[in-house]
Amino acid sequence: MFSYIIKRIVSLIPTLLVVSVAVFLITYLMPGGPATAMLGMEATKEELDALNEALGFNRPFLVQYFEWLGKMLKGDWGESLFLQQSVLSAIGQYFLPTLSLALLAELFALVFAIPFGILAAYKRGTTVDLALVTSTLFGIAVPGFLLGMFFMLFFGVKLQWLPVAGYVPLKDGLWNHLRYLILPALSLSTVQAALITRMTRSAVIDVLYLNYIRTARSKGLKERTVLLVHALKNAAPSVLTVVGQSFGTLITGAIVTETLFNIPGIGLLTINAINRRDIYVIQGVVLFVTLLYVGVNLTVDILYGIVDPRIQLGKK
Amino acid sequence: MRRNKITRILALGLGIALSLTACGGQSQTETKAPEAAETTTAGGTQAAETTKTAETNGAAPAAEYKDTMNIAATAQPPTLDSMTSSSNIADGIAMHIFEGLYMMDNTYTPQPILAESCDISEDGLVYTFKLREGVKFHNGKEMTAEDVVASMNRWLQTSAKAKAILGTSVFEAVDTYTVTMTVEHAASDILILLAAPSQFAAISPKEVVDAAGPEGLQEFIGTGPYKLQEWKQDQYIHLVKNSDYQSPEGETSGFAGKREASTENIYFRFVSDDATRIAGIQTGEYDAAEDIPLERYDEVAAMPGVKLHTKTGGTLTLFINTSQGIMVNQDLRLAVLAALNMEEIMYGSYGNPNLYILDPGYMNVNQEQWAVKGGEEYYNQGNAEKAKELLAKAGYNGEKIRLVTTPDYQEMYNATLVVQEQLRQAGFNAEVETYDFPVFMEHRSDPAQFDIYITSNSYQLLPSQLSVVNPGWAGLDVKEVNEGVDAIRFAASNEEAKENWNNLQAFLYEYGAASVLGHFSGVTATSQKMENFEFFHYPVYWNAKVAK
Repeated sequence: MFSYIIKRIVSLIPTLLVVSVAVFLITYLMPGGPATAMLGMEATKEELDALNEALGFNRPFLVQYFEWLGKMLKGDWGESLFLQQSVLSAIGQYFLPTLSLALLAELFALVFAIPFGILAAYKRGTTVDLALVTSTLFGIAVPGFLLGMFFMLFFGVKLQWLPVAGYVPLKDGLWNHLRYLILPALSLSTVQAALITRMTRSAVIDVLYLNYIRTARSKGLKERTVLLVHALKNAAPSVLTVVGQSFGTLITGAIVTETLFNIPGIGLLTINAINRRDIYVIQGVVLFVTLLYVGVNLTVDILYGIVDPRIQLGKK
Repeated sequence: MRRNKITRILALGLGIALSLTACGGQSQTETKAPEAAETTTAGGTQAAETTKTAETNGAAPAAEYKDTMNIAATAQPPTLDSMTSSSNIADGIAMHIFEGLYMMDNTYTPQPILAESCDISEDGLVYTFKLREGVKFHNGKEMTAEDVVASMNRWLQTSAKAKAILGTSVFEAVDTYTVTMTVEHAASDILILLAAPSQFAAISPKEVVDAAGPEGLQEFIGTGPYKLQEWKQDQYIHLVKNSDYQSPEGETSGFAGKREASTENIYFRFVSDDATRIAGIQTGEYDAAEDIPLERYDEVAAMPGVKLHTKTGGTLTLFINTSQGIMVNQDLRLAVLAALNMEEIMYGSYGNPNLYILDPGYMNVNQEQWAVKGGEEYYNQGNAEKAKELLAKAGYNGEKIRLVTTPDYQEMYNATLVVQEQLRQAGFNAEVETYDFPVFMEHRSDPAQFDIYITSNSYQLLPSQLSVVNPGWAGLDVKEVNEGVDAIRFAASNEEAKENWNNLQAFLYEYGAASVLGHFSGVTATSQKMENFEFFHYPVYWNAKVAK
């Protein structure tokens, strides 16, 4: 297991290098530079040229890339052109809201998806199953931002139960922190809940008709035990995969939802960095997101081995 | 049978529950929510609320005011260094922190703010400013001549508008509280330039100015009624009242006169989504929401507790490439002007006829000195037949005309689409090229990459500051324009200056360099409980307060 993890981490290096070249190339080729965003609408060409010269953005691609790569390897991800802080500290700062939001959204998703998934599998072919499956289609089909706007109007403006937008850090109190996150988390979790429900349903159905379940039933075990202990445990790896993917999606930032609810997370940082052509931040965020995604996948792989001891990582 | 029925009912219930997964989760929070709404309305802010009592004369009941004001701005400014950026948001916020020697009152007359007075030498070349004594920067240091000289000389070099007109001027210190400015040519507009709110001449301490790099000031320390407390990137700028503030005297008017710093804290929160800003002003989360989209004007106007403030803010202008490509042919340019129907374009862009006006002038229609009609016969012709004749005269052969635009500015984008249609009706092969804002700017600034573009430009105080007469803007570099600008600046009287501007504006139309499409309004929404708010050029909050 240990050597497997090391191997996976080492295999990250070429992935990250390829990503870094690709991202650097894209940002280099991307027309419109940071000077434009800094100087505003009425800037003249001379002002733009002068600022690009001062910032070093008119140098050749390779010079800029290797300078950046050299610094990266020493742990210096560069300085943001707009945020007046280093890229790493910006990522650290913007990651916390995203992490809170992702955890809450995932929690909402799981609370509904796992029980409903099992129920749908257990009641396969019945009206309950049909209703649940139809509902999941609805959840998948309705875009999160639309739900977000609906929630904002209904719970924020009409009922005034929750604030319409904004973010308060955890240090200002748990409830204060959560109440700003509930609406965006709900709008993000709907699609994830729908996906996980469907996956749980089909994974449980797959195992529900296997011989060992029949054996368990014939032993006289209660249906609850059969379902939750025997069936769910064996369906867990497939469910875990989709939960991992959904968490990966949530944790790497939800651009539209974060913009709509004004949450200063990774999604908002990404879209703002692109709009401002904050090149080092764009590169930093993409590398960070790559690392996170790989990290989440690796964690899921490791968890496979824990939930199902038959899976032995790294052994042929 | 019965069991089956119950199952169905349950299934239906479950279906609804799952399809509203979100609502289900909501129930956990329902019980506590009303308290939360209270807190939200009280400012939606992290800062602790304390109560303040307004000063009243006599028996009237004392009104209580919030000590924190939340303003939803549309975007984060790139910097608060007004000299390096022409962003309106940057200038609007920076004005609460910084002050200039002179600033505009609401009749666009320069009034002394950090200066006490200004003497102009007989030949009009030397301006001697007497500074107010005892004015302190936010870092506690007293403002003296060396700070003013450092700041103003930086302004002359950094601000494109100052550089273009006053670039050869120089500021020098005479004594601790006296500064002179020496200009190359006498002109009637020098004080107006110093007081112009766009890229405004903000005074900072000398050491801060000296430490500024090419990307601008590293610290934002001014003398204004508010000081910068915190800039939380992509979230808010928090200003706090400057308790050592010494306000200029006089009645409050525009950016001039007495400044109170009435509210302890101001948060400019960056809320890019229109719907979120509007929802926030409706719930009381924000006390003001800037840039209300005009298509939602009527809806927001009908909201209880919300007040709308409207101000004509600038022109939507169409620029034609006069220096490169097919449009160097003047008849083609005049054909474009002939084809345009401004009523349709402005309606398409702003959607509410009460929020725009049709006028050929480039300058503020309310600014008596510069509101002229020169070239009006070229404005709003909407004559496709005339355009076709001019096209034939120009020998136009269906070459592609590139209209460059960006959907990041909805009004510019909408106007471009309407113009495209009008040009097509007149026989042009007009194609719209759409880019995001930075790429649009790149195309716009390079005459090889556009034929026509439309931008919304804020009002300028002087014709010489207009983008249309700036060769770097759309590449219009002809001697008539440069001479025209000089004729305005060095005119013997205001009447003569106005006449010369009228002639220059007429030339801009005759030459087919550009056309104003119309004048647009900016709309800011405030809570009805907000008092002393002034919407002048930018929203002014330093005297504003919000009753609880």
